[in-house]
Amino acid sequence: MANYFNTLPLREQLAQLAKCRFMSMSEFDDGVDALKGKKIVVIGCGAQGLNQGLNLRDSGLDVSYTLRAAAIAEKRQSWKNATENGFVVGTYEELIPTADVVLNLTPDKQHTPVVKTVMPLMKQGACLSYSHGFNIVEEGMQIREDLTVIMVAPKCPGSEVRAEYVRGFGVPTLIAVHEDNDPKGEGLALAKAYAVGTGGHKAGVLMSSFIAEVKSDLMGEQTILCGMLQTGSILCFDKMIEEGIDAGYASRLIQYGWETVTEALKYGGVTNMLDRLSNPAKIKAFDLSEELKVIMRPLYNKHQDDIISGHFSQTMMEDWANDDKNLLGWRAETAETNFEKTPAGDVEISEQEFFDNGILMVAMVKAGVELAFETMTAAGIVAESAYYESLHETPLIANTIARKKLYEMNATISDTAEYGCYLYNHACLPLLADFMKDIKTDVIGKGLSTDDNGVDNARLIEVNAALRSHPVEAIGTVLRGHMADMKKIV
Amino acid sequence: MDNAIRLEKVTVNFDDRFALSEIDWTIEKNQHWVITGTNGSGKSALAAVLAGVGDIESGEVSGLPSHVGLVSFEAQAELIAKELKKDDADIMDVISLGTPVHEMIFDNCQDPKLAQELVEKFGLTPLLNRAFRKLSTGETRKVMLIRALSSKPNLLILDEPFDGLDAATLTMLQEHLISIVDTVPMVLVLNRFDEMPDFITHVAYMDKSALESKKTPKNRSEKAAIESGKLALTVDKNNEQAFHELYQLLHIKTTDLSVPEADPTNKLPELDPSQPLVKLKQATIKYGDTVIVDKLDWTIEQGQHWQLSGPNGSGKTCVLSLITGDHPQCYTNDIFVFGFQRGNGESIWQIKQFIGYVSTALQWEYRVSTSCRNVIISGFFDSIGMYSKSSDKQKAIADQWLELLGMKDRANQPFNKLSYGDQRLLLIARAMVKHPPLLILDEPCLGLDDMNRQLVLALIEKICEGQETTVLYVNHHAEDQIKGIENYLGLVKNS
Ligand SMILES: NC(=O)c1ccc[n+]([C@@H]2O[C@H](COP(=O)([O-])OP(=O)(O)OC[C@H]3O[C@@H](n4cnc5c(N)ncnc54)[C@H](OP(=O)(O)O)[C@@H]3O)[C@@H](O)[C@H]2O)c1
Repeated sequence: MANYFNTLPLREQLAQLAKCRFMSMSEFDDGVDALKGKKIVVIGCGAQGLNQGLNLRDSGLDVSYTLRAAAIAEKRQSWKNATENGFVVGTYEELIPTADVVLNLTPDKQHTPVVKTVMPLMKQGACLSYSHGFNIVEEGMQIREDLTVIMVAPKCPGSEVRAEYVRGFGVPTLIAVHEDNDPKGEGLALAKAYAVGTGGHKAGVLMSSFIAEVKSDLMGEQTILCGMLQTGSILCFDKMIEEGIDAGYASRLIQYGWETVTEALKYGGVTNMLDRLSNPAKIKAFDLSEELKVIMRPLYNKHQDDIISGHFSQTMMEDWANDDKNLLGWRAETAETNFEKTPAGDVEISEQEFFDNGILMVAMVKAGVELAFETMTAAGIVAESAYYESLHETPLIANTIARKKLYEMNATISDTAEYGCYLYNHACLPLLADFMKDIKTDVIGKGLSTDDNGVDNARLIEVNAALRSHPVEAIGTVLRGHMADMKKIV
Repeated sequence: MDNAIRLEKVTVNFDDRFALSEIDWTIEKNQHWVITGTNGSGKSALAAVLAGVGDIESGEVSGLPSHVGLVSFEAQAELIAKELKKDDADIMDVISLGTPVHEMIFDNCQDPKLAQELVEKFGLTPLLNRAFRKLSTGETRKVMLIRALSSKPNLLILDEPFDGLDAATLTMLQEHLISIVDTVPMVLVLNRFDEMPDFITHVAYMDKSALESKKTPKNRSEKAAIESGKLALTVDKNNEQAFHELYQLLHIKTTDLSVPEADPTNKLPELDPSQPLVKLKQATIKYGDTVIVDKLDWTIEQGQHWQLSGPNGSGKTCVLSLITGDHPQCYTNDIFVFGFQRGNGESIWQIKQFIGYVSTALQWEYRVSTSCRNVIISGFFDSIGMYSKSSDKQKAIADQWLELLGMKDRANQPFNKLSYGDQRLLLIARAMVKHPPLLILDEPCLGLDDMNRQLVLALIEKICEGQETTVLYVNHHAEDQIKGIENYLGLVKNS
């Protein structure tokens, strides 16, 4: 199987990467009609499988689950998830031949064997759906010509997909049709109905392509989302210890700090996150982030280049074939970092204090978000996509660090994200070594001393203007505005 | 007054028509009370007990002051009646003018100097020689006040003292009361909170008693003849929160506002009146081998109010969530709701549109930064938070609800900054806003203090008045009864 993207002519590659359109609410007027009465069979009942299935069923659709034989025989968690929720569960042989739509919600790493097994069992003219395009784009999986292939990718973890639906809302969702597999021209109608069934249409849907989804999703997750937060956590923690800050305090500041500062990001973008700082601190954070951007830009470019060329997925798949040697090694290393091993101290840190004493963390988030966004758009990915894959998802990952720190964060995210995160981390730690030498507790741990509260007006105006004019802020204002119209929920 | 006035489990009868049941109340030195409450709850009766009125049937009263100054409409009427009687007695003789005002005020007066001062202040000087019974109601009131105030009382009871007074007199009276706060404890009966003087330290709230009189009635008609009131709550005015809630409670209990209409532009689909709202057949919920609900048959007809009870873990909430569609096993059971046989392509939103729902769990899930008004409006959409544009009509209806709740000034305040009890009230309004065919109240008082329980029950009673909504009430507190529920389903815990 060849990398699908690399088989395309440049013209087509560019067209696919640039495919992304924010859909209007009226495009979903037909609701779930296109799926009404059709038999939906979900493969896998994990985070996405279970929660998407619950939503689809509550939207009036016919949902059942098929699991690999061992999962059924051993009554694994996935089997329990499905049966306790009152779903019919059956083997591939029992259910796949009856399915009009098959949702492949197994881990990306398993897609090739899973799809190869189920494809021969699928009905003539049925539809195969993914929630991530890796298998099609990077592995070049060839799907039977009579089958329709679509993607409906919620831009949130499965638990959020369900929680938002129950509230009467949904999560932002990306849909796509694999143009090589749309024999009846019904792919878009099915994908739209599916997005409605999960509630996604209420929160905003991007009509994109498999390629744009994969190339931007991989980039976001390995750089700003997981990579930057992991690297930042380790560097900031070690620096604070080196400077004599109480280990419990340092651990808490980091574990909950990302969540707190990115909460401000979620509501008002990078600008709002920096506006939470005092004026001198804001200028400090801005300057640090400019420095960081210069140092890290080549790394972001390399990640994007490797993703576009297929080099990233190739090395990762080699590791898959090598029993995950690298991945498991890195995972073990993460468990041994000082930050991971130091529990958060029993100290009270107020919301504002996370900003005041975490200026460097704010700078790292700003630098990471902007770099990821700039690199993606430079590679031809549309701003809407780049926004969702960088800024939008940062608070979600920050939230998993608050709940579970790094080791568990890595266990929660997908294998591809985890692999990419370690690559980034290994390259970024040495890259920032010199930069970190000049860092003192005024920007991480203690905050600026209060007697230097003065700022130069001209400089402040410059900084504010620069913050507000960054392209991620422009698109963010539009997309958040859409969300805020609808969604007034935390 | 050296000692506190103490009423312990006191039941008092008034002419066999009215009784106060089991009053527990202590008035400490230096306290000034307001008695307030619903109409007919015995506010005046309670005040009168302090003046020695009524037959004490049981309980202990101690520390009643020797000399009570009492101003009330009852006392006023009595005095006038007495005057008129004098008139009758003299009818054979010369035509009597009745007792002149100056006699009413200055005979037996303990503090003539004060009386004189007040006569001038209240503008009664020109009337001193007039017959008391010839005075207007307002003027009689003033005379009563002067008599009471200048009698050097060791407890002053003023029952609706501000009613019928002109603005100037009102101000003077209030000033005078302020000037004596340190010398005499006062008990005021007031209907309106906004009349409460600043020096008041405590508030007693009276409610009609649901308990029947202790006397076993000989027949039904006698039972009906006896009404009784109880002292439901007392509040220290320094406790701002409780004080505000009391204000709301009184508002809900006494307002003549009725429940706002449903949104006329967004009517729910008609239900077939011959069909039950809900029909569960052999409903079963189990997790693994643990059976939570075992083969339950239950039909809820339209207009048939139900109470569902059972110990914790007996599956009450599970049964409800089969009805609301929130339980995933509703797809494996035989459930008919609102015209839908579940599992045939209907969406949960088609089910939820017929249901108003309140529970503690909902309140926990409602962690939103939205305004109070939006919380109510979200009931039109069955959503937690607001994701759709609301119409002007819906906003107007929400505002009417806020007014009913006594929360008009909070329309734009964030919901998550409200007290727990206020949040509950808003969620009840949210549940009722579309006038759902089925209103499910899952332990609506759970986790609330006494005051908020009263508030919630008052609101529920209000919204159930003459509505076409069928109520399903889940509760295990025997005392939190709701009027008009006649069907009971008790669940037991499966071991
Ligand atoms: N997590 C997210 O935030 C997120 C967001 C958007 C899209 N996605 C995409 O959603 C898809 C599913 O991800 P997920 O996070 O839901 O995965 P997950 O939680 O790990 O669940 C995977 C499910 O697949 C089953 N499974 C594993 N290996 C299998 C095999 N070889 N054959 C058959 N079934 C197998 C597992 O059950 P058993 O092991 O018991 O068989 C489990 O039920 C992926 O394509 C992912 O990229 C995820």
